Amino acid sequence: MTRFTMLPLRLLARDWRGGELALVATALVLAVACVTAIAHFSDRLNRAMHIQSQTFLAAERVISSSRPVNATWLDEARKQGLQQAQTVQFASMLSTGDQFQFASVKAASEGYPLVGHLEMRPNSADSSRVVHGGPPSGEVWLEPRLLPLLGLAIGDRVQLGDSHLKVTGLLDYEPDSSNNLFSMGARVLMNAADLNAANIIQPGSRVRYRYLFAGDDAALDAYFKWLKPRLTDHQRVIDLREGQPRVASALDRAERFLFLAGSLAVLLASVAVGLAARRYSLRHTSYVAVMKSLGAGRGKVLRIYLGQLAALTLLATLAGLAIGTLVQAQAVAMMADFFPVDPPPSHWQPLLVGAVTGFACALGFALPPLFRLARTDPMQTLRRDWSNPDRREWLGLILGPTSMLALIWWLSGSLAITLALCTGMALLVGGSALVNQLLVRGRLSALGGSWRIAIGSLQRRAAFNTLLIAAFGTGLLAMLALVFARTALIDEWRMQLPEKAPNHFLVNVAPGDVESLHQLLADNGVTSTEFYPMVRGRLVAINGTPAKERKKQDGALRRELNLSWTDTLPADNKILEGAWWDKVDRGVSVEVELAARLNLKLGDLLRFSIGGLEVEAPITSLRSLDWNSMRPNFYMIFAPGALEDFPATYITSFYLPPEQKLLINDLVRAYPSVTVIELDRIIARIRDTIDQVSLAIESVMVLMLIAGVLVLIAGVRASIAERLQEAAIIRTLGGRRRLLLQSLLLEFGLLGVAAGLLAAAGAEATLLVLAQRVFDLPFNLHPMLWILGPLCGALLVGIAGTLACRSSVSQPPLKVLRELA
Amino acid sequence: MPAMLKAENIHHRVATSEGPLTLLNNISLQLARGESLAITGASGSGKSTLLGLLAGLDKPSDGRIWLAGEEITAMDEEQRAAVRARCVGFVFQTFQLLPGLTALENVMLPSELRGERGADKRAAEFLSRVGLEHRLHHYPRQLSGGEQQRVAIARAFCSISNTGSEHSDGILFADEPTGSLDAGNGEKIIDLLFNLNAESGTTLVLVTHEQRLAGRCQAHLRMVAGEITAADSASSADVLSSGNPGATA
Repeated sequence: MTRFTMLPLRLLARDWRGGELALVATALVLAVACVTAIAHFSDRLNRAMHIQSQTFLAAERVISSSRPVNATWLDEARKQGLQQAQTVQFASMLSTGDQFQFASVKAASEGYPLVGHLEMRPNSADSSRVVHGGPPSGEVWLEPRLLPLLGLAIGDRVQLGDSHLKVTGLLDYEPDSSNNLFSMGARVLMNAADLNAANIIQPGSRVRYRYLFAGDDAALDAYFKWLKPRLTDHQRVIDLREGQPRVASALDRAERFLFLAGSLAVLLASVAVGLAARRYSLRHTSYVAVMKSLGAGRGKVLRIYLGQLAALTLLATLAGLAIGTLVQAQAVAMMADFFPVDPPPSHWQPLLVGAVTGFACALGFALPPLFRLARTDPMQTLRRDWSNPDRREWLGLILGPTSMLALIWWLSGSLAITLALCTGMALLVGGSALVNQLLVRGRLSALGGSWRIAIGSLQRRAAFNTLLIAAFGTGLLAMLALVFARTALIDEWRMQLPEKAPNHFLVNVAPGDVESLHQLLADNGVTSTEFYPMVRGRLVAINGTPAKERKKQDGALRRELNLSWTDTLPADNKILEGAWWDKVDRGVSVEVELAARLNLKLGDLLRFSIGGLEVEAPITSLRSLDWNSMRPNFYMIFAPGALEDFPATYITSFYLPPEQKLLINDLVRAYPSVTVIELDRIIARIRDTIDQVSLAIESVMVLMLIAGVLVLIAGVRASIAERLQEAAIIRTLGGRRRLLLQSLLLEFGLLGVAAGLLAAAGAEATLLVLAQRVFDLPFNLHPMLWILGPLCGALLVGIAGTLACRSSVSQPPLKVLRELA
Repeated sequence: MPAMLKAENIHHRVATSEGPLTLLNNISLQLARGESLAITGASGSGKSTLLGLLAGLDKPSDGRIWLAGEEITAMDEEQRAAVRARCVGFVFQTFQLLPGLTALENVMLPSELRGERGADKRAAEFLSRVGLEHRLHHYPRQLSGGEQQRVAIARAFCSISNTGSEHSDGILFADEPTGSLDAGNGEKIIDLLFNLNAESGTTLVLVTHEQRLAGRCQAHLRMVAGEITAADSASSADVLSSGNPGATA
């Protein structure tokens, strides 16, 4: 290796202490680490979540059918190499001689569950254990509260149809219990091999057959593509999206948030690298001028600095990849308890993503200042002028933003995220020049003293300050957008599943039992929602046209709907069109999304068939409601009196804390006709999932805040030398420390306020696009953004700037001037 | 003796916001190998600009310059850099040492830029010749002003010492070499510069304010407002060409 080959590396090692290279390297390391950690984390989290979410189905995909499917379907799945299992679900009576109890039975084949696990206890006193298969033939596991209801003990036999099955365990958790939310009664798990002997399924029985499949994605896709044209109206395929939309939506949004965070990491790192590289190239103008005067041509200078940049980028990228991998491994280890499944090891792709990020940031933002550096005029050695005028640099203007946007697009895979950040950044950059002009042309210097010095300093660096405001603004924009996006997401999730959201439904409550049941709940400290009357009816005609003849069919026209009436608009419901019963005295209020699907509008006449009788009512209002509220919700609400002649049952929901679970037994004993729907376990699972996703989001946000602060430091350092020199001269001329400190604080504070204001505008625009195009959330204006933006800007930039320049007031001015010379 | 440095009708103008500004006007000179020339003048008279053009750091607006027999005004920047690497050494008023490199590394820099082997030995030898053999691994900030200028002189001579011949093709350009030093240190530096110059047989072009220093050169030109107005010795007349109307011998 020649001396010249080693020169870039030796200069790199020597220059490290200058600070700018350390900042370029730190920015690169942080960008690569953030993006690598996010990519690893997102990859592993996504796959873990996917596995976990599949546990909500107990499979990767499911065919749900009201009758057994053609055997050739299962043969085909076998040919494709898919794993299979089946469950048969139905309601049946369990008995033990004189005790009877209605229960929801699941008969599971070998292999169930294909994904996830069951939790059971061999004895009441034992703690729950994880098992990967149901009871063997001849045995049955019961939900714990069935034991006292039936007067049973473990080891006793229970009659189910013609069979007497031995109770060998208590069933605590089935992964797919949420798929039959409105199943009746306590849950029972038996072996599918005992079904024939039990002779329990008769023609006409209400039975749900579920065929579970798992395997390779490609094989699954091929199989379900083959199956699709063969499905009838009685069968449907369920995947995660349909099986557990709430979790699927949370995961989708979390993934998009992580991609957003990754994109912002790139944005921040790019700005930090750009600022540090610019400062580095300015500091090296004198070096290059000397080297050129000693005979180094432009090509040689470029080779030296490109060699340095390549070595620096390579080292920083390797360090970033290592740190990113370690951070995510540590994060996954710390969060291990939150994962119901072990996150699978990461693929190699996150490393590629991190490496590309490092090199793209370096090339896009560090290369243009180096090209400019290589054009340094050697005559500067004689003029002793080390300015490196910011000529219009097309390379820098095009290469930087283009590489950044391309990288963000590639990382996020989302044009919407790229557009959102573009919108915010365009506002920010466009506004920077304008705000800077207002700042320097304002009359603030008339305030005298430190104001005059601060404004004078801003005026002298007006051109560079535009860049600085844009850079500070980018840092603040990224931090604000991320904090507010995270808040909106987590708030939305929490709103969907509030702490004490109702987790039990009571249906089939006889009118005569409403009062006493309400009292029983109240006596036990349980607050229920309203008791709503419910009549089952089918929508048979719209404006006289039979529903069957409508071109646009909908599931709501093929089944009975729950019809209700009330004089009070239920909580979470909102009238969007028409009027409630306080303004009109008859008619029906229709849920707005159903109305849209059926093309219904105000005034349309709906005819319902209820128990063979028909009722007609005009639509008098369209209503929105919150399906996630865990309260009874209805597509159709009639005016009081309209349905009172029909036999109705009542429905309500309430929150029951785990320690009061046995209240359900008292309730079922006292009101045997009432059906209890228990959603507590599934809600707890969903909440766990969302909690861990929230935790992941918050961890990523902390990383991003660090990156944001790094940009602020890079910005401050980019302009520090001139400020130090001026401060030292003012001190030499007798300026007092306090005056200087005040002026520094004012100068950086004003820059921070300007950057904060622009960041608030940019973040608001970014959040608008994100809400509408990425997260599918309602957009609200964020007044706090406009307060926090300038405030954080003033504090962070003001303090960081003043601290960085403190040596100008704490050290003798001569020393400062000598060091800068 | 063939001219080591020759300039013909040099004009140099730069664009300013107030229109073109003439920095040098119709300057011609020539200097034989091994000779020394001092250029004096007030600040802004154009002497440093002339030094830079003669050394090939920039091209004049008009006119031609030959350095070591090669016409550098016909070359592009890369070619001029190659000529500088081969036969030009610089000593600057503010030393222009790279602060991140030690004294030894600063002196090695020209050789390293040329990709030569054995640069460290030669650099150490030159540092020893300027009396800094005990300061090889010190950084510029650890050296006094006089010591820094000695390192710069060692670098300049090291940079033109590659030919190895008795009569060097090297030419040393010094821009106010004592401008940042006190009188005592300035004197020592000048002695060192002239002694090394004599030992190496290099050609010397010196820009200075100091008449005493200019007096030690074989030729002395004075500049006013971009023009040579006087040549202060017999040999100076030989340096000048007829293109300098105000010059007097």
